[in-house]
Amino acid sequence: MRQLFNQLISFPYFFKFAQISFPYLFLLSIFVILFGVLWGVFFSPVDATQGEVYRIIYLHVPAASVAQSIYYTMVIASITYLIWRIKMASVFMISMAPLGAIFTFLALFTGSVWGQPTWGTWWVWDARLTSTLILLILYLAIISLFSSFDRRSSTDQAVSIVVLIGGINLPIIKLSVEWWNTLHQSASITLSGSSIDNEMLIPLLISILGFYLYVTAIGMRRMQVEILKREISHSWVKKIFKESR
Amino acid sequence: MKSFYYKTFQRDSKVYLSRSSSFLGPIVFFLITITLYPLAFGSDEEKLAELSAGIIWISILLANLLSHQFIFNEDYKDGSLDLVLASGKSLFLWASIKIFVNWYFSSLPLIFLSLLTSFMLYLPFDAALILALTLFLGTPILSMFGALAGALTLERGNIVGSSIVIPMCLPALILGILAIQSYKNEEVFFYIFLLAAFLFFSIPILIASCLGAIRLHFE
Repeated sequence: MRQLFNQLISFPYFFKFAQISFPYLFLLSIFVILFGVLWGVFFSPVDATQGEVYRIIYLHVPAASVAQSIYYTMVIASITYLIWRIKMASVFMISMAPLGAIFTFLALFTGSVWGQPTWGTWWVWDARLTSTLILLILYLAIISLFSSFDRRSSTDQAVSIVVLIGGINLPIIKLSVEWWNTLHQSASITLSGSSIDNEMLIPLLISILGFYLYVTAIGMRRMQVEILKREISHSWVKKIFKESR
Repeated sequence: MKSFYYKTFQRDSKVYLSRSSSFLGPIVFFLITITLYPLAFGSDEEKLAELSAGIIWISILLANLLSHQFIFNEDYKDGSLDLVLASGKSLFLWASIKIFVNWYFSSLPLIFLSLLTSFMLYLPFDAALILALTLFLGTPILSMFGALAGALTLERGNIVGSSIVIPMCLPALILGILAIQSYKNEEVFFYIFLLAAFLFFSIPILIASCLGAIRLHFE
């Protein structure tokens, strides 16, 4: 187990591992997303109160879930980087932040498309919407940090400090925003059970799974690119390029 | 023999007192922002009274972040930051003193000024007192976040630093505003205690991360 971990945090091993597993993971994720979303859109029952509109849930909930999860994994990576100085952790943070921003934007966009017919407006200053917007701003601020240092190690350290402070602060922001205002329907799926009918829940869970697989696959690809950027002058990179030619 | 920390305190205070720009800057900025709001929204008394708490809080937040970005800049440029890092003194205490002096000279005047401006914006007197109290608890948080932003972008002061910390300051702003809005009922203490909790919670974390951010320029 420990050996596997040590191999995965070394750049050449991870690169090879990602190179082999990416195509399978990517195709699998596309397949699972299509399966879940198509099932949800065409075969699951119509919602009693919201009608057909609710079907955007099969994009909205997975995107929102992925957007938040990416931030929490980034927090874990930042702690790892600050304590053990594992370079892979900073590669992870730097490659995942843009993905997180994209999925947060997707969640906001699908949410506003959903909100137009059900609430009657594209945007309300509701607690969840506001905290998701703040999450988006946080992602963008972290991305803007990438280019403000001359040395790679300074960037890594600055990004992990900001990610960590943001991670400590995010629950506080969420709580305070909730006191401020709330209109959004509360979370339908919790660990203790769900308020959704099984016919709708199963395709939803499948598309959530698909989104996670997709992010894992694309995230690995992005990490490979980041590793190449950092290690461009190393011999193992040159060897790989010679072999592929 | 005076200790290193006392001397830091004395020196920073003297620098502040001798330079009008460093303590007048935030005051001018604050006053001009306050003036902008009635000019933009109109001078209607009821409307301004409703908005006034938010106006004052936002103006103070912006003035604070701008003025605190440069806490460590001069020490970095003239090389004394290197010496402090090498001296083996408690950096935590040193940074706390620097942030405190900065707060004392740039935020405390704003808190007193906010009492005056709250009359200009027709805020009721009781609410104005609560406003001053929330500012008293909230501005140190803003100062520390501002110091963090400054420490992160020592090499080139740019907009990145403040855009990172403004979202993190939101709980202070929200709790402060909620306290002022509920100044008539009991709930006000709830929000004030929460704000105080946020302050004491963030002191160790933010100062430690300030030091981490300073160190990354010397790796």
